[in-house]
Amino acid sequence: METFLSVGVVLLPLAYLVVAAAYGFLFFSVPSKASRWATPALLGTLAFHLLYLVVLAYRWHQFPAATVAQALSIIAFAIAGVYALVEWLGRERSTGFWLVGLVFFFQLFSSLLGRPVPPDLARFKDGVIAIHISLALLGYTAFAIAAGYAFLFLQLYRDLKGGRFSTFFGKLPPLEALERMMLGALVTGFAALSGAVLSGILFAQREFPAVWHHDPKIIATAAIWLLYGAALALHRFRRWQGKQTAIVALTGLGAILFSLFAVNFFFTDFHGFL
Amino acid sequence: MARPDGPPLLLVGTDYRLAPLELRERVALSPAETEELLVALLARPAIGEAFALSTCNRTEVYLAPRDERDEETAYRELLDLLFLARAPELGQPGRLFVQRNREAAHHLLSVASGLESMVLGEPEILGQVKQAAGIAEQVGSGGPVMQHLLRAAIEAGGRARRETGIASGAVSLGYATVELAKNIFRELEQCRILILGAGETAKLVARNLLERGARKLTVANRTAERLEAMRRELPTIETLPFDQRVAALAGADLIVVATGAEEPVLTRRDLSAAMDVRGSRPLLVVDLGVPRNVDPGAAKIGNLFLHTIDSLQNLIERNLKRRREEVPKVEELLGRELDRFFSWYKSLDAEPIVAELQRQAEEIRKRELAAAYARFPAETHADLDRLTRSLVKKILHHPSARLRDVEGENTAARLAIARDLFRLDSRTDPTDGNKE
Repeated sequence: METFLSVGVVLLPLAYLVVAAAYGFLFFSVPSKASRWATPALLGTLAFHLLYLVVLAYRWHQFPAATVAQALSIIAFAIAGVYALVEWLGRERSTGFWLVGLVFFFQLFSSLLGRPVPPDLARFKDGVIAIHISLALLGYTAFAIAAGYAFLFLQLYRDLKGGRFSTFFGKLPPLEALERMMLGALVTGFAALSGAVLSGILFAQREFPAVWHHDPKIIATAAIWLLYGAALALHRFRRWQGKQTAIVALTGLGAILFSLFAVNFFFTDFHGFL
Repeated sequence: MARPDGPPLLLVGTDYRLAPLELRERVALSPAETEELLVALLARPAIGEAFALSTCNRTEVYLAPRDERDEETAYRELLDLLFLARAPELGQPGRLFVQRNREAAHHLLSVASGLESMVLGEPEILGQVKQAAGIAEQVGSGGPVMQHLLRAAIEAGGRARRETGIASGAVSLGYATVELAKNIFRELEQCRILILGAGETAKLVARNLLERGARKLTVANRTAERLEAMRRELPTIETLPFDQRVAALAGADLIVVATGAEEPVLTRRDLSAAMDVRGSRPLLVVDLGVPRNVDPGAAKIGNLFLHTIDSLQNLIERNLKRRREEVPKVEELLGRELDRFFSWYKSLDAEPIVAELQRQAEEIRKRELAAAYARFPAETHADLDRLTRSLVKKILHHPSARLRDVEGENTAARLAIARDLFRLDSRTDPTDGNKE
């Protein structure tokens, strides 16, 4: 089991890199058989990733989201899964290179952190915290996907606005579709993060009534929640257009990564797990 | 004796590179004239098969002389019947091209793939080749060689468009507008389109948009007569008085402006007000006027995409560059189709032997079956017939396939051994019958 996990942690980023490269042949219209097996390769990698997570859960007897490395791997898996679903539903493979590329980076960061021993937290068995963690991961995944689509939206927007047609032009879904996918992911992420914040407050109020307000992780998360909430509200009430929302989606992902890395490793108090 | 590597083919023609329009239009052929020419060519003893392709950019005639020695006669007769008869100036050096055999076959495949077109990769030529092939079939001027060659050309043309980017991207103003719209809006069918102007450019763009699925198209023009003329040409469009154009801006997703006005007919303020109403919905404005018909300052409005003739030209140039980059891929594909055509021709060497082998086997089968019928009840005869047919077919399948296989080594030796083993002695050429 240990050997499998040690090999898996190395193989996963490599596998996603290969899959991203296969989608790259497709995106850049380079004739290659690789583009044909991009989807099967993604599905194979997803199956392997699922097995890795199951073994990881079995190894530590808890949901594998107790460390930043584990959480990043879960997010990578979820983004890849959502992309596979989008591809299957929309028969649309042009965004594969970019979204699987994003998956690769999440998994790479996860693997670089190694496999630290997760804390054996009794609180992980609490129902509220299980909901809290699941919603937070769902929210982060949706925000990462939104950032992926936001990046592509901005590239196409720039081409269309400037009349200089780069590699992106003609190879992506239309601007309206990218905006809709980005907004859908943002709304999903915001709803999930709202649930995570609420369940987190309930739990913290019960477990750490005196200190939780001052925790840097909670402050950072509240700021992220406000950022996304404001962007969605401004979009809803027609003051903001796709471009501004896309910029917030990218900024938001940056803030999430900052929260995951810097706050979790250097500042946090009781939020020592994810 | 072994057949030559390829069929004798002769191509004579002229195109936009060699002859100006005034000469091309004199040798251009209507479908009826094409039929007449093909019938006249077939009446000549030197010519076995013929095919003619005539478009606004080219007129070319492909001939399969009955014999290589007939080629010069066929060439002369074609010049007398068509090219020199209609445009003697084509007799000047460099006005006509003449190609033979593999080169001629390659040319037809190139034409069908759009490599020889004035606009590289243009899609209409494949349809024109198919139409010309239909005329040749109707007249009966295409024998086995021409039929196979045309099939190879049509296959190559289709594959070039499907498997390479030779026809990708817009290369005209109208289609460039469509391409821009398709990169912004999810469904062109649902886009509300407003066109200002009813001149030739506006009509062309409207036609291209309708061809690509646009349904909600409104046109406004300063002169009512022109607008009415456009409506008669394109009856599905709606019309709007020109002075109501500004009120219609907020409801449109795509605005094409192509008027002859000296001053902008849409100001930044008009468009800004429209965008306020539209909220976050994007707006594409294509200004095809020279001088510009839309205030250039409108480009600064968020979510409004203003394009002029220059930016459309950028897009067209980019697409043409991409098409040029696809040419080697198309050439590779043409090479494979051409090889297949020549393999087919080479395989004709084996056809008389295969036919003789099958005839001999069928004779034996019938003889043995006749003898066997007496020993079996009548109700089993049909089953016996089916069984023996199936046996003969299965036994001969592999030898026949091997004899036809021109890719393997020692083809000639293999055919000689087959003749010797099965005591075959046939020299019948299956194409001869069709050439008569």
